[in-house]
Amino acid sequence: MIRLESLTACFMGLIPAWLCTCSKDGVPNAAILSHVDYVDPKHVALSFQFFNKSKRNILENPQAMVRLLDPDTLQGYAMQLRFVRSETEGPLFESMRLRIEAIASYSGLKGIFKLLGADVYEVLSIDPIPWEPGLAPGLSPSGRTTEEGLPFTMRALSELSDRIHRAPTLDCLLDSILETIESLFGFRHAMILLAGDTPDRLELLASRGYPAGGVGSEVGFGEGIIGMVAEARKPIRVSGMLRQLLYAKAVGEHARAHGLCPDDRRIPLPGLAEPETQLGIPLLVRDELVGVLCVETDRDYRFHEEDRAYLEVLGGYLAIAIQNALLRERAHEGEALPPRPAVARAPVVSGRSKLRLEFFPKEETILVDGEYLVRGVPAKVLWKVLREREGDPTIEFTNRRLRLDRALGLPEFKDNLESRLILLRRRLEERCPEIRLVQSGRGRFRVEADAELSLVGG
Amino acid sequence: MTAHPKISAELGEFLQSGLSIVLAVRDTNLRPDGAVAWAARVEPGGDRLTVFLHEDAARAMLTKLERHPEIAIDLDRPTTHRACQVKGRLVGARAARPDEEAVVFAQIESFAADLEVLGYPRTLSAAWTVWPCHALEVSVEQLFEQTPGPGTGGVLA
Repeated sequence: MIRLESLTACFMGLIPAWLCTCSKDGVPNAAILSHVDYVDPKHVALSFQFFNKSKRNILENPQAMVRLLDPDTLQGYAMQLRFVRSETEGPLFESMRLRIEAIASYSGLKGIFKLLGADVYEVLSIDPIPWEPGLAPGLSPSGRTTEEGLPFTMRALSELSDRIHRAPTLDCLLDSILETIESLFGFRHAMILLAGDTPDRLELLASRGYPAGGVGSEVGFGEGIIGMVAEARKPIRVSGMLRQLLYAKAVGEHARAHGLCPDDRRIPLPGLAEPETQLGIPLLVRDELVGVLCVETDRDYRFHEEDRAYLEVLGGYLAIAIQNALLRERAHEGEALPPRPAVARAPVVSGRSKLRLEFFPKEETILVDGEYLVRGVPAKVLWKVLREREGDPTIEFTNRRLRLDRALGLPEFKDNLESRLILLRRRLEERCPEIRLVQSGRGRFRVEADAELSLVGG
Repeated sequence: MTAHPKISAELGEFLQSGLSIVLAVRDTNLRPDGAVAWAARVEPGGDRLTVFLHEDAARAMLTKLERHPEIAIDLDRPTTHRACQVKGRLVGARAARPDEEAVVFAQIESFAADLEVLGYPRTLSAAWTVWPCHALEVSVEQLFEQTPGPGTGGVLA
């Protein structure tokens, strides 16, 4: 029999499978499956989302046949299965649930498009389908050979570690992570979100590969892949995003037609408009969520099952690096810093000679010439430093002094001030480049402005 | 005796538009089997559906169908997931005629174009073993809504 492990490419969800079952009365049934999950060398799992004919048949007659198509060779395989059990909790259920709920949250279908059970089947036989021989050996559907090595190697991890150690500040570290992820692993689109002012929400602090950086964009826990990763603290990978979103859309329309009213609120996909694969990695230190790294591809990137362990190690490593950078910023405040390396960012439109900045204390929000700039702690910090700078344009600010200012409302414990300042600095670079926060040492900065500032409110 | 449904003109147009088509059959031990079909044709009157599949696939299915003619056919459009399941019995099998080759490839072209929207390259359809086909004619006994969601499996007609 063909070994189940040799078919790992079939379990990435890139090409739908189909399932044949038969009732106890001898009536067969056929259904499309979006994903078949590998469990162990003798078992696979199928998602149970709706109590449909396939499920009823399996409860009457546990025999099933699944046809898989290898996405690399296009060879078809027929698997004879026997239903063993339905799991409603545990690691297998959780990993399948997270993937499905991430899609559901993008489609406003949480609670309808959900996993009811992870149905585990024993694999009785696997045979290649003679009339589905696929492509000539060595070729893949994209025309590339299938001998491409995995990007995740210990050597790559070692190099990533080396580059990260060289980053002098948290600001540089975030850029260095994204730059290294592109140069070592080939992910051209990536973003890092860290915990912000609001509980159960993450804010985008650094991104790479997108036309607009989107610094300050927020994602709530449970929203989309990033939010699901934050909630579950487990990596999630979804391949064939477009196909799965269309599947969810069909479910939504069907649900409305049957009198169910799924939540119409849709969470816009951060990043690529039509990603083919999204991967979210939790950044965890001793079970504490520091943030989430999200990478996207616009092609059917081959994440293998064994990559999961690697990604968890990578996430843990990045989380420690970020947390260490935060601690270092505080412990060595005032130290001189090497110049911040130039980082390619989205082009900014500058050149305004006068700016009107309005602060709305109740909303803790600043508008620049009527356009939203920033809110929350970063807004209060900016307002404070701009007001003080009115009296002394050369004044320097330290993080220590900001922490002591009760008007800023920073929490006593884990105030995230360093990441708030990075967000503010990057938000200014994107939206208001005439004003700059220039680091003059570790935990020390001054404000530069190329325009005449008119401060209103506050 | 229960009256069997007929395929409406609108549904017939959908079923013949170039879809993902999967057959399911079974053996004496109720063990299911299945195969891909490449095209479907609704016969006049709407009470029979002919599906075209590669002759090797057809032979494998016929070893079961000769003793157990029950058959299920799932027809699905990948971009919208509109889907329908036809259940019935095999009433005839033959080699596809040369004039039916164009019908089969026209539906494959439409299906491949649909897949292309989803990012599946043409190399996928180029790898399919299509011709020569066999034509399996099936009596339409039940029609089911197969679009995924809470109402999946409901009777269509």
